[in-house]
Amino acid sequence: MFPEIKHFVRQSWLLLVTSFCFGILIAATNSALAPTIKQNKINKLNELMSGLVPEAARFELVGQFEVITAKGAKATSNIYKGLSKSGDSICYSFNGQGSGFADKIELVAAVDKNFRQIAGFDCLSSNETPGFGDRIKPLLWRRQFAGAPAVKLKLVKTGDPEKIDNEIVAVTGATVSSQAVVNIINNYLMQIKEQMQEKGLISNGQ
Amino acid sequence: MVNDSHPDPKNNIGGVHKQAFLAGIWRENPVFRSLLGMCPTLAVTAAVRPALTMGLCVIFVLTCSNLVVSLMRKCLKPHLRILMFTLTIATFVTVADLFLKAFQPRMSEILGPYVPLIIVNCIIIGRAEACASKKSVPLSILDALGTGLGFTLALCVLAGIREILSTGAFFEIQVLPVQAQGGWFQPWAAMRMPVGAFITLGLLLAAVNLLSARKS
Repeated sequence: MFPEIKHFVRQSWLLLVTSFCFGILIAATNSALAPTIKQNKINKLNELMSGLVPEAARFELVGQFEVITAKGAKATSNIYKGLSKSGDSICYSFNGQGSGFADKIELVAAVDKNFRQIAGFDCLSSNETPGFGDRIKPLLWRRQFAGAPAVKLKLVKTGDPEKIDNEIVAVTGATVSSQAVVNIINNYLMQIKEQMQEKGLISNGQ
Repeated sequence: MVNDSHPDPKNNIGGVHKQAFLAGIWRENPVFRSLLGMCPTLAVTAAVRPALTMGLCVIFVLTCSNLVVSLMRKCLKPHLRILMFTLTIATFVTVADLFLKAFQPRMSEILGPYVPLIIVNCIIIGRAEACASKKSVPLSILDALGTGLGFTLALCVLAGIREILSTGAFFEIQVLPVQAQGGWFQPWAAMRMPVGAFITLGLLLAAVNLLSARKS
């Protein structure tokens, strides 16, 4: 028994020692940098939400809502309430995600306080094809969403992008990425709206 | 009688160190001569800034891993060495990734999965196997710095050409007047895409081979 243990230790002592040391190094680095990384994410989310609703002075977390994604998986979405300088509620904002053409697309969207009108959306992260799919990011395409009714949106290949309604004109050459954005917004918007109405946070519109 | 053609090794230490540093920059450049590390070379060279960041990350990981591997070279068991190299490299890549996320969050987003993918970069494991596991600490560090610098330079040259042709800018500073702003230059969208990376790399490799052939 002992010779076997001795052999094992002789063979693997360096691996065990370095694993322990490297583990400590990673743990120390992570604990030192985790607050900064978390703050960076909050800053980015706040920056995007403020960009969507410039009138909002600050955003307050309302809660986490469970959403079923297009693939049937369970996901959570953070809902924020946008408050004016005087503290009045002026909008709601939520984050969502779904599959794009190249990779997962994560976005943040904002709606008015009654969930009747979309204020806009912005990308938290996306790795869509440069020159094609990544044109979902510039305001030139995103502005179609600002003012659109908070109902199920429909993607069309041709149309007038200046006309603000529930029809979103796809980015030329990037229909899959455009459809992904529309699907994410539709999926999260509808489910969150329903849950907000159930909880009495917004009126049911009747 | 002293034979001048075989100098005393003790007096040639500077030359050995100089060779270890310079080899990776040109003669054994990992991108242009050995065709290693092709994944980041093609993927993150659409602009100079991400290419430079990737290069600096590789220099950091390569130097730290060569240092650690060189320090433990006498204790390495042959059948465990690849495991040890990977463990060492993965640790420093994780540290570099955390630092990027904390202090360069935008660049971390742009580079995406390519920073964690440094773990499987052939250049780093190659230098650990070929140099750090056999040579002294100073030589290993100089080898890492030279190879890392060579990799960074190659990435920046490739990225510089692609950024200028795809946007008319270099290091995000406009150098060519683009048509959209009343100028004459029509940006080549293809240069931002993988096809641009392959074409530019192919032409650069041809140029480097031509230069080397003429030199020899």
